[in-house]
Amino acid sequence: MIMAQTAAISQGMKAARRRENIAAYIFMAPSLLFFLGFVVFPMGMCLVTSFFNYTMSDFSFVGLANYQEMFGDAIFIRALINTIIIVVVSVPITCMFSLWVASIIYKMRQVNTSFFRCVFYLPVVTGSVAVTVVWKWIFNNYTGVLNYLAKNLGLIAKNVNWLGDPNTALWCIITILLTTSVGQPIVLYVSALANVDHSLVEAASVDGATSMQTFWRIKWPQIMPTTLYILVITTINSFQCFALIQLLTSGGPNNSTQTIMYYIYYEAFKLNRYGYGSAMGIILAIIIALFSAIQFRLAKTDNG
Amino acid sequence: MKKLLALLLCLMLALPVFALAEDVEITLWTYPIGSWGNQETVDALIADFNAAYPNIKVKVQFIDYQTGDDQVTTAIEAKTTPDIIFEGPERLVANWGAKGKMLDLTDLFETEAGKAIYETVAGSCKGADGKYYEYPLCMTTHCMVINKKAFEAADAMKYIDETTRTWTTEGFEAACRALTENGFCPVTGIVYCGGQGGDQGTRALVYNLYSGHFTNEGFTVYTMDSEENIKGLEKLQAMVAEGILADDPGIVAGDAISLFCNGTASMCFCWNAALDSNNRATLAENVEPYAVAFPSDDGVPALDGGIWGFGIFDNGDEAKAAAAKEFIKFMCNDDAQAPKSVYATGYFATRPMGDIYTGTEKEGNTAYDAFSPYFGGYYQIAPNWANQRTEWWNLLQRIFAGGNVAEEVAVYISKTNL
Repeated sequence: MIMAQTAAISQGMKAARRRENIAAYIFMAPSLLFFLGFVVFPMGMCLVTSFFNYTMSDFSFVGLANYQEMFGDAIFIRALINTIIIVVVSVPITCMFSLWVASIIYKMRQVNTSFFRCVFYLPVVTGSVAVTVVWKWIFNNYTGVLNYLAKNLGLIAKNVNWLGDPNTALWCIITILLTTSVGQPIVLYVSALANVDHSLVEAASVDGATSMQTFWRIKWPQIMPTTLYILVITTINSFQCFALIQLLTSGGPNNSTQTIMYYIYYEAFKLNRYGYGSAMGIILAIIIALFSAIQFRLAKTDNG
Repeated sequence: MKKLLALLLCLMLALPVFALAEDVEITLWTYPIGSWGNQETVDALIADFNAAYPNIKVKVQFIDYQTGDDQVTTAIEAKTTPDIIFEGPERLVANWGAKGKMLDLTDLFETEAGKAIYETVAGSCKGADGKYYEYPLCMTTHCMVINKKAFEAADAMKYIDETTRTWTTEGFEAACRALTENGFCPVTGIVYCGGQGGDQGTRALVYNLYSGHFTNEGFTVYTMDSEENIKGLEKLQAMVAEGILADDPGIVAGDAISLFCNGTASMCFCWNAALDSNNRATLAENVEPYAVAFPSDDGVPALDGGIWGFGIFDNGDEAKAAAAKEFIKFMCNDDAQAPKSVYATGYFATRPMGDIYTGTEKEGNTAYDAFSPYFGGYYQIAPNWANQRTEWWNLLQRIFAGGNVAEEVAVYISKTNL
């Protein structure tokens, strides 16, 4: 009798779980279809076309020829180096600056915190075209406000062509990228810091910990998941820096601001070499995956 | 008998409408060629068309030079190309036509109006396979512009022949020196090389200085490595080094035009009739634009030309293709409509059409017709053109960064003459 009841309950539970699973799959289906259609399928297509000489009038199998060409292509190498410089410089600065700003503003009154969050988030919600137009005015060689200020402050003797000089162009791009990148991390850090367990902070304070010790020993481990997320997202965004380059420098001068994303666009859309562009896309994806894996690994170690 | 004749005449007039009795919707993508990038203007032109062809609906999409090519490329791969596109032979013939994406328009050239199109223009609309992929509507020669007030202040107008609007390389250099000394504008001229926008200006500047050519006669080989062209590049490099001319790898023609219009630069190497009328409202008080040809050692320039017309994408729909051809014939061949279509561009007709600007708002454009005899041929259909365009501004950047001209030109040639 009891066994029969147990079996009936077990069957009922199984049926309920099955219904739950079906419901879950139904809810997930739209996103899943979107993900398969617009992410997985294009990735597969990209991989396949990277083995073809795919142009507007040709689609012939060339094996690894696109990959061979890529590693002998001086512009690709230059683009790769520039991209890595952008990532290596902008990711740590973005994270540190965001953490610094967030650690100051999260303690403020709600109104002030919201105000600063809005200020720093503004470049994120502003269209990249509008942002770049403003920066183009600022950096203008002849009428730009930066040259005007720098000359009046005695920092420079004559106008500097910020975007036209190979020595300064990439740094200008990185500067603009920073302004558009810090908004989201600041908002995330403010939330993460606000969610830190205050009883632990108070306990540390009672035990005589300095504010620095409290931050690194108590708060930092608790905001680590947020830091990891910010690191990965900022790294991916930096690797995919494209709009700024397209709108400001077209990769110049002398390829000094050429990035892999822009070079992919140039080869695929300007020269209609879709196969070669796809091959570069695959390499970029692999590099991003490697960077992300390293970050996960390091963050895990720190946390552990 | 009279009634019968009248009936026949009516039938003949209505024939085009009956031929396409069923309603057809076609799409037109237009680059901003003069006012063909203006919704109001294009709507009025289409209204004219619909008055004659009420059964053909034309849906217009305006595209620009910044993103237009990408949109077309995407449409070609997605098989969603428009029926008609309005641009020039470098895209319609040398690019999409050569890749088999366009319909042959030879039959349009066999019409009475088609036969009247200037031979050099018609030749530029023909692909290497002998098929016509563009039916031309308008043309112009690209020139440069100076600020007459700045030149007068520096006593430099004496270097320009005001009758022919031409000048020599020697005069150009002397004028730049005089303008620098006078300082009416902060900069004399800016050799922009931040991208491909308006690159026809810098090309013409370079190859005219010592009467070189951008390609060979057949438009099959790039000839920037000729002695004349290398000398031209060296001259510009020396002028920039001397400080009587500026280079700028951070800007393209659009920026250079703005700097001319706001009085920062005394001259601009990208100009034509449409740019003149479009920029009148933006001129600073101390700017008086005066169009001139590019300087050359013998004072006889060879100017780049622009030819714009319609092409039809091969979308596999005969009804739409037929409707598209009717649209093109109406816009380009119809005696009453064609002058209106050309007027909207601000340029000049590709067949004898008389003066369409005198007594109109665009009367100033007539002056630009004086440059037509200097048209040096439409070499933009040369092979590997898209790649060449990028290599060109990169070449200028390397040269103005101090590169050896002959060596840098050799690199450019190795990447363009494949």
